[in-house]
Amino acid sequence: MTRLGFDDVGFTYPGATVPALTGCSFAAGAGAVTWLTGALGAGTSTALLLAAGLAPMHTGGLRTGRIHTLGLDPAEDGAARALGGRVALVLSTPATQLSGIAETVAQEVAFAPANLGWPRDRIHAGVGRALEALAIPHLATRDPTTLSGGEMQRVVIAAMLVLEPELWLLDEPTSALDVDGRALLHRLLRSEALRGAAVVVASEDADGLATVADRLVVLTAGRVALDGVPQDLLRGDRIWDAGAGSTSIGTLARVAGVAAPRPLSVDEGVARWAR
Amino acid sequence: MTLAPGALAARAHPFTPLVVTAAIAVAAIALPGAMATVALYAATVILVLATGAGRAALRALVPLAPLWLFLFLLHGVLGDGSRVTVAGLSLSRDGLTLAVTQGARLGAIATASLALYAAFSPARFVDAVAERGWPFSAAYLVVATLLALPRFRARAVVILEAQRSRGLRLRGSVINRIRAIGPVTFPLLLGALAEVDERGFALETRCAAGTVRRTALAPPADRMADRMVRWAAALSAGAAVVWRVFG
Repeated sequence: MTRLGFDDVGFTYPGATVPALTGCSFAAGAGAVTWLTGALGAGTSTALLLAAGLAPMHTGGLRTGRIHTLGLDPAEDGAARALGGRVALVLSTPATQLSGIAETVAQEVAFAPANLGWPRDRIHAGVGRALEALAIPHLATRDPTTLSGGEMQRVVIAAMLVLEPELWLLDEPTSALDVDGRALLHRLLRSEALRGAAVVVASEDADGLATVADRLVVLTAGRVALDGVPQDLLRGDRIWDAGAGSTSIGTLARVAGVAAPRPLSVDEGVARWAR
Repeated sequence: MTLAPGALAARAHPFTPLVVTAAIAVAAIALPGAMATVALYAATVILVLATGAGRAALRALVPLAPLWLFLFLLHGVLGDGSRVTVAGLSLSRDGLTLAVTQGARLGAIATASLALYAAFSPARFVDAVAERGWPFSAAYLVVATLLALPRFRARAVVILEAQRSRGLRLRGSVINRIRAIGPVTFPLLLGALAEVDERGFALETRCAAGTVRRTALAPPADRMADRMVRWAAALSAGAAVVWRVFG
């Protein structure tokens, strides 16, 4: 079941002469992790803002084409309210994602459920589960503004996880995470997909997402250049032509002159070179 | 909140310090004469000490001391009217009275405001507003405004350090300092504007603009004593206004 659909979508920011997206079409289904990537300025972040209804509502600009987020056009009146709590948006700058009024991490995570008027028992139980899932129960009483970038990013993700959203929109969610944090997030994305949520991640973290994503959409200058299975696309040459890249081992193999299909992991590389 | 959790001001219902501070401010402006305003300032200091926010009274002296000196020079030394000699200085009697009146007014307002700031807990305030069913947006505006200052200061320190590491000279002559204003102020303002945008996104996706009544996570107790203090403060401020108008 499609949870997010882009159909021939174009978008131009106010004052910009070049559109951020042009004729962009892709879909993200329930139970799957869809990975958006591309070169800098390819339009992946813009696609997430459009999907969440924040563009053009808050950014201004002109949108063309059709978007449906959980069956609604997010730019329509009343859509934001109807989508509240059902769509989770995580941006790459955790410090600006904090509510600004919470004194503790637990209050921060409880911010959205409280806004939705959930009963207190449900909020407390949800906060506990979200903190456990992100391995940060020990931070529950800490002031969120005093956390490290990685801890803050986990808190921001927990603050969305507590809502049990139907659609995740994550923009560079591993930007501040360490190796353990990245592994934890990748497991979380898979478990969220398993729960039935649609997960859309805009990221350049090929090493992490190569084995996590079910589908890879590569944008080039605001257009969908490639759309397919990550393991297939990452091994080939077309992803490089599209301005994106592969995993570290895939990149190494390419630089070393290995012909496609290239290995993507250390194990695959060892197996390939051992032959 | 910078008070010990057990302090009376910290345990009070969040609206109580707010109402008391507002009442003190109204009374300070309304009360006529040096005696009344000095009495109000003294009462404010005693109240602040008794409720565990005593450091606010000390902190208030930092901005108050230069203001008091300025009032003394302006009204006491340079003032008109009959003169009185104190320690060899010829001072204006009326000017001194005016300086004491204004100084005590400022003292009461500054001390009460800093005590309120020290006692203010954003989360408890938001919960108190939610418990009443009042709009969350109004509470958010109050809290975010109060919390903006320390964040802005922290950001300014980071920018100062960054610019200094890139060779900006912040010490030395006045000209050096004036030159440093631009490279520090513009990134500060631009950063704040960018943050406003992103925080707006975050609040939107976290349902801050919802129409549903927000759940109070830990609603603060509104005891009889709190209600009585608030009524007493409001009535006292009203009485001060009446005294000023009809007295």
